[in-house]
Amino acid sequence: MRMRKRNAKEKEPGGNNGPSFFILAFIFCAVLCARSFADAKIYIDITSPGIRQLPVSLHMPRTPTAREIERIIKSDLEFTGLFSFVDPDIRGAELIADIDVDATGGLTVILSIKDLVENKEVLKKRYTSNSIRPLAHSIANDIYFVATGKKGIFRTKLSYLVSKYAGRKELRLMDWDGQTSVSISSRGLTSSHSWTQNGKYLLYAEERERRWRIYILDIMKYKEMVLFSSAGLNLVGGTSPDDLISFSSSKDGSSEIYVIDIYGKGFKKLTMALGIDVSPVFSPDGKKIAFVSDRGGTPQIYTMDANGMGVRRLTFEGSYNTSPAWSPDGKFISYVGRYNGKNQIFMVKSDGTDVRQLTFSGNNENPSFSPDGLFLAYDSDREGKKGIYIMRMHMEGDQRITPRDINASSPKWSPYLK
Amino acid sequence: MKKLMIMLLLITAFGCAKKYTTPAETTAPPEGPVKEEVMREEVLPERGETIMEERVTERVEAPGRETVVESGVPSEEQVKSIFKDVLFDYDKYEIRPDAREGLNAIAAYLGKNKGINIVIEGHCDERGTNEYNLALGEKRAKSAKNYLSSLGVSPDRMIVITFGEEKPVCTDQSESCWQQNRRAHFVIVKSRFPQ
Repeated sequence: MRMRKRNAKEKEPGGNNGPSFFILAFIFCAVLCARSFADAKIYIDITSPGIRQLPVSLHMPRTPTAREIERIIKSDLEFTGLFSFVDPDIRGAELIADIDVDATGGLTVILSIKDLVENKEVLKKRYTSNSIRPLAHSIANDIYFVATGKKGIFRTKLSYLVSKYAGRKELRLMDWDGQTSVSISSRGLTSSHSWTQNGKYLLYAEERERRWRIYILDIMKYKEMVLFSSAGLNLVGGTSPDDLISFSSSKDGSSEIYVIDIYGKGFKKLTMALGIDVSPVFSPDGKKIAFVSDRGGTPQIYTMDANGMGVRRLTFEGSYNTSPAWSPDGKFISYVGRYNGKNQIFMVKSDGTDVRQLTFSGNNENPSFSPDGLFLAYDSDREGKKGIYIMRMHMEGDQRITPRDINASSPKWSPYLK
Repeated sequence: MKKLMIMLLLITAFGCAKKYTTPAETTAPPEGPVKEEVMREEVLPERGETIMEERVTERVEAPGRETVVESGVPSEEQVKSIFKDVLFDYDKYEIRPDAREGLNAIAAYLGKNKGINIVIEGHCDERGTNEYNLALGEKRAKSAKNYLSSLGVSPDRMIVITFGEEKPVCTDQSESCWQQNRRAHFVIVKSRFPQ
């Protein structure tokens, strides 16, 4: 099955350095009261086919701060394709979010979500922050949770690379909507990168002074350490739920797959082949590893158990299939395949059946799933310079989230962040 | 200052997110003071030896007539004509027959000039994917190193580094351009390698 989609409108990115207001920290939020979610009503069942859009109203003060918050909430919720917005003065909404904004001295927002059908309040919450964006994304998450019973991804981030010039790539971090981009590492040629599953550490392979090392960054402390260094090429692959890191190294000559823990201990070699073995990524349950090998003559995706046994070839179509990424439920592997002279994103069931092509225009590479599995980030040159796009997995529409004048690539979606 | 502010934002954006709703909770405690550890633009410790490099010009079409340098300092022209890029086929890392002559000349030159060491850079064209191309580039550089080693050049005098598709010499989308990028490139180093 070929999946179609179209380019959605481009959002205005930017905001690399917002006004000082944004730079002040998000201090804390407090719960006034909240309903018990255990037996909550689900307004939209996102698991059912033929999803309907839930009509929602946002009722906000008409101040600039409130309008900015409203814009962010709407943008978050609209991109899911699950919501339609109804003017609060017009009937028809099933939920109304009453959002009271007090911007005098810090920012305090009180959210009250009412079910207009049953005429009762289903959530009331207070947020306190000095920064609009994380606050607005948190509100969007709460509205999303009330509506769907699922965690929203609006507070997640993406790590990605920006080309500065030939041989120099900087690792950056941005919100899922492409905003508040910050630099993480800009001292060399950064390549593969990955999050630990608690969202606390970023791992990245970077070439500095002709050495490819794997670094680990404590994001909160902003402290970088070398995780693995040897002669040859070392590239980080992925992480497991118990903080193992899969990587490739050519320390013994040819590039093989290894695992190590985040403390640099528990080093294990998993493959022994003469050719290239690279890009190892753990399945979400940590039991399997997908990787790329040219042992069959061309680069193809293989899977194996996390102890290196049970190697099995997954892709057979085409002569160039690389860059595997597991879906969060473990059922699918997305990858890059060369098709008609261009690189495209494909998806295959983890048993190797049901290959689908997901992109069709330009070169599209480096797929990475959102933690809820509903979105796929990737890079594409379909509009000129490489940029990062987000695709909806269950409906049409994808969106470029990085500016057109920046060469951005290799998005890696964070886990849920708190 | 701006950098500090950005880092403060980053730290706090991660650190101080909303405490998720446990309904009974009335207030979440505010996060403690923001810890700051400014990551400096790290300066690598100075190595005892500084590597002096001469980057050999990228493309030299004329074959080197004289592959053996008599003595003394070879002229730049001579060096250029010897250390030509070794080219590879698409998605391959085997030394092609047409590359042997050039590698033979390099081995002969290194045999006569013991004070010179080389860095062999492996490169790819842009069509592959980045990570795989890094591995492929390394294979190409190692193929060149192994070939030179088989001709008697000590492996200690050669180090390999891969840049995959990240440092193209030509950026057109054509086969002739891609062919120029699929290369092992030589950089001359006039000292011993550290370690």
